[in-house]
Parts: sequence; C-alpha cells; structure tokens
Amino acid sequence: MDTGNVLKKEQLIKLLEEMPSGYIKPTFPPSPQPPAYKKMGVLIDIAEIVDASFKPSKPSNNNYSTSKSYICSECKRILPTAHLLDLHITEQHDFYFAASVERGNRPMYSCYLEECTLKFTTVKERKDHCITEHKFPANYRFDQGKGKGKRKGKASTSDLSMDTDEIATACHTIKAFTFGHHNQRAFNTRPPKSNGKGLEDVQDIKEALDDIMD
Amino acid sequence: MENNENPEPALSAPDSFLRLKIREYAQKQRHNQRDQATDAFRFGLGQIRQEITELDNLKIKDVQGLAARIKRRKHATSENMYRLSHAFLQGNENINCFAAIPGASQVLVKELTGPNLERQIEAAECFCNYSLGEPHVAEKISTMAGSYLVTYLDSNELRLKRSCLWTLTNLIATCPKAGKTLLQMQLIPKLWKLYVSDYDELHTDAEISLNLLATTIDGISPEDCHYLSEHMMEKRPSDLHGEYYMFLLYQWEIECKTQKQAEYLIDFFLNQKEINYNNNWSIRYGIRLLANVFYKHPELIQNFSNFEQFANKLNQLFAKRDQELNFELLRMLRNLMELKLCNNNLWLNELKFYG
Repeated sequence: MDTGNVLKKEQLIKLLEEMPSGYIKPTFPPSPQPPAYKKMGVLIDIAEIVDASFKPSKPSNNNYSTSKSYICSECKRILPTAHLLDLHITEQHDFYFAASVERGNRPMYSCYLEECTLKFTTVKERKDHCITEHKFPANYRFDQGKGKGKRKGKASTSDLSMDTDEIATACHTIKAFTFGHHNQRAFNTRPPKSNGKGLEDVQDIKEALDDIMD
Repeated sequence: MENNENPEPALSAPDSFLRLKIREYAQKQRHNQRDQATDAFRFGLGQIRQEITELDNLKIKDVQGLAARIKRRKHATSENMYRLSHAFLQGNENINCFAAIPGASQVLVKELTGPNLERQIEAAECFCNYSLGEPHVAEKISTMAGSYLVTYLDSNELRLKRSCLWTLTNLIATCPKAGKTLLQMQLIPKLWKLYVSDYDELHTDAEISLNLLATTIDGISPEDCHYLSEHMMEKRPSDLHGEYYMFLLYQWEIECKTQKQAEYLIDFFLNQKEINYNNNWSIRYGIRLLANVFYKHPELIQNFSNFEQFANKLNQLFAKRDQELNFELLRMLRNLMELKLCNNNLWLNELKFYG
C-alpha cells in the first residue's frame, strides 16, 4: 500500500479546521441521483393462464382461503387483517365495550388504521376522520357497521334492548301453509309493499309505542 | 415339504381404505403446494408483446367487451381478470380505455375486497398491471383502491401482500399526487413494517417504495417521523437489503432521541453489509447522518468509546481515495472533533488520510 502520501496529524488537524462544520440539510448538494425505477406489471405462470382459459373459473379452495384470512369465530365474518378483526370482535361481540359506549365516558372507537392512535365517541366520527384524514372512500368495505344483516348471535345494544325487534323481523318470514295447493288461501301476513313504511327499525317502534302511550 | 416363501398377506378392507386416504391426502398436498408455489413474472408496459408471441393480442374492443361483461354481472371471474391483466400489460391505450369506462374499476375493487382470497389476489395482480398507466389512472386507483391496497400490506397471504406492494410502488413512481394520498393512508409505517419484517423477499420491494417516497415527495408528516424515530432500531445491520436505510433517515431528518439510538446508528454504519454499489448510497448518507447526530445531539455521544473500530472503518474509506467521499468524511470528522469527547490526538493518530 502506498503510505507516502499519508498526512501527518498536524496536517490533518489543519485540514479539518478548514472544513465547514454544522448541520447538513437533506437538500445539500451533491446528492447522488437515485437509480431509475422502471414500473413493472405482473404476470403469473403461463401454465396457469392456459389452464384458466380452458376453465370458466378457478375452483376456490376454501381451506386455503380460511387458513390465510382472519375470521370471526362468532359470526364467521372474514376480515383482511388482525387489527380489523380485533375491532370487529370488540365492537360487535363485546358486552363490556357495548356498555362502555352506552355510558359514553370516553371515546371507544379506534381508527381503522392500526398506526393511528386516535379514538372516537361514535362510529360516524370515526368514519368522518377516516374520510378526511386518511382519504378513505365513503363506502369503506371493511366498515364494522356493514354486513350486520348476515351476522348471527350478535351482541350489540340494539339486540339487548328489546325483544320486539325479533318479533318485528319474524313477522316478515311467516309463511302461510298451503298443503300442496299453491294458490294462497290464507291471510297475507306480509306488509303491503306499496307504502314501504313498515316499522322496521327498533327506534321507530319505540317512538310509535311512546306515541300510543301518550 | 414346507413352503419357505412367505405369502403376501391379503389386503384387508381397512388397509385399502387407509391407502386410498393416504393417496388422496398426497394428491391434495401436491395440489396445495403447487398453488402456493405459483410464481410471478414481472414485465414492463408493452414488454409482454416482445417476450410472449403466442399470447392473445388484446385491443381496446376486447377491453370494452370485458368491462361490459364484468359490469353486467357485477363481478369479475378469474378468467376476466386474467384477460384484463394481459390487456393492461399490452399497452397504455387499453389501460386508458378501461379507466374511462364508468363503474368498471369499481368491479375490480369489489373483487379485491371480497371474501374469496384467490379472487383478491387476482384482483390485486390486475391492479398491479392497471397501475402501469398514466398519472390520471394512478390518481384514480389510489383514491378508489389505495386504502385497501395499504390495508392488505398487513395481510397473511404473501402473494397478495406482494402484489399490493408492487401496485403501490408503481403508483408512487407514476404520480406524486397519488403518493401523497397514499401517505395519508399511513403508508410509511406499513412499508417500514415490511422493511424490517421477517419476509426477506419483501425487503427490497419495500425499500424501493420507501426510497421513491423519499425522493419524489417533499417531507412527511410529523406522525410518520415520530413512528420512524420510534422504530428505527428494528432494522438489523446484517440484513441484506439495507442500502437505503441511512438515506431514508437522513432525507426525512429522523432524529435520535436516546443514547441507545445514537449508538445504534454508529453501530449500523460500522457493521453494515459490504455494499457493492457504484454510488455508495449507504456509506455517503451514513456519513451525513452521523455528522448531523454529532452536531445536533452531542449529549447522546458522550459515552462513545469505540474509536478503534471507528478509525478502522474511516481508514478503509479513506483508502478508496474518492474525493467526494473524503469531503463528506472530513466534514463529519470536523463535527466529531468539536465534541471534544476525549483527547482528539488519540484517534487522530490512528487515521490514515491520503493527501
């Protein structure tokens, strides 16, 4: 190795004293140019494409789907991440959470983004936050409020509040017995479709009952 | 005379049943492994036409037909998505045509967020090719599907995660506005998690995405800075893909808050894998980052004692006799000298700077 040109300590100190000191800003030149990025698409195995062109659709492997997804054991709802499943279980199946929300002491609803630590008092507040702050679409598909109709055995406050909810919904499903005769000869228990103002909502029923009592 | 040959025992019914079950199990296992081993090839826009000659030449009319079909049925089959993927790869005109059809992209979003994992993967791959389009298409995708693509970075399924990551990288590279929208969806923490995760195969892709964000978008939110500052020590110096680690911290001005963090950065600089880069990003920005730490947080360096290893590393770098690199090194040494940690003569004696 060539050691002839190594600076002596005094020379090095002198050189260092001539150097600028201080904070180096990110804009400070010279900055090496980043390597150019070439946008790339994706193409899966050619054999699979040929297969797919013969088959109308790939048969779905349910075991594979379920083993890689997060599924609520209570209502079988499939969610894409552990955080969303956690939110779902807490908000839909946790009595303590429901009671805390009803008490309204503190914000309980966590943001859909795991990294965002904010909490909200209502679902609407959270939705507004996600739309304005995180640019979520208004119809966010992993919204906890969606898909309620499909859930079995949910433990939300509306379930606990009244038995009439079940009766009201049950009324729609009663069918007249026909004993093999298809022409209906019984009273039609379905509400007339024309008005479309059935007391479907528990709150509506409550209000209607209050009106009657008054 | 006795027959010495042992006759084979006749197969009983439970035996044959067991064999049949084992055969079925083996077949299923082979099928599953084939599914999981599905590999993906990557192509640039239009490149597919040169590479694969026997592929269908899909044109605007085909795209219009496919879009009409998926809209009419309100869902896209696997075959539809395969064909759309190919069409997008074949040219920008196909992408623009699809983007202009109202309601067509929403069907892909629906498949991406549906309950079937395979369809989700196919839709994500379709979006990856769709994202090869022009800036207005990138903006559209980031607004409509960005939140889901970011969400799926936390998914359990590697292929889905990877396709979403590739799509997001394409979006960032295409349009800074789309990148800004994605940043609001907390993209940086998600990418950082992948960057430091155990998924080695995603480190490079996550690093490229982060690098693109750092070079194309000015500044990040204080929340993101705080997150990076809290999690900066999760990246191991021994990781193969850490070339941009120092650059990212320097570019976003992520500050050390504890002595442990400052020591970690020095350690990372000293022990990182040998980089075979022409531009020496990691070294150059590592030097700048340390120079800033020495200048801004002298209180965190007070117990720094590993001068011998530090001097060895500097001597290795001085030996390269790169003028620009030497300038960066001397500037860092100047900041270090001003700290007056111990007798400067001790470590100055160790340095071999070539004049």
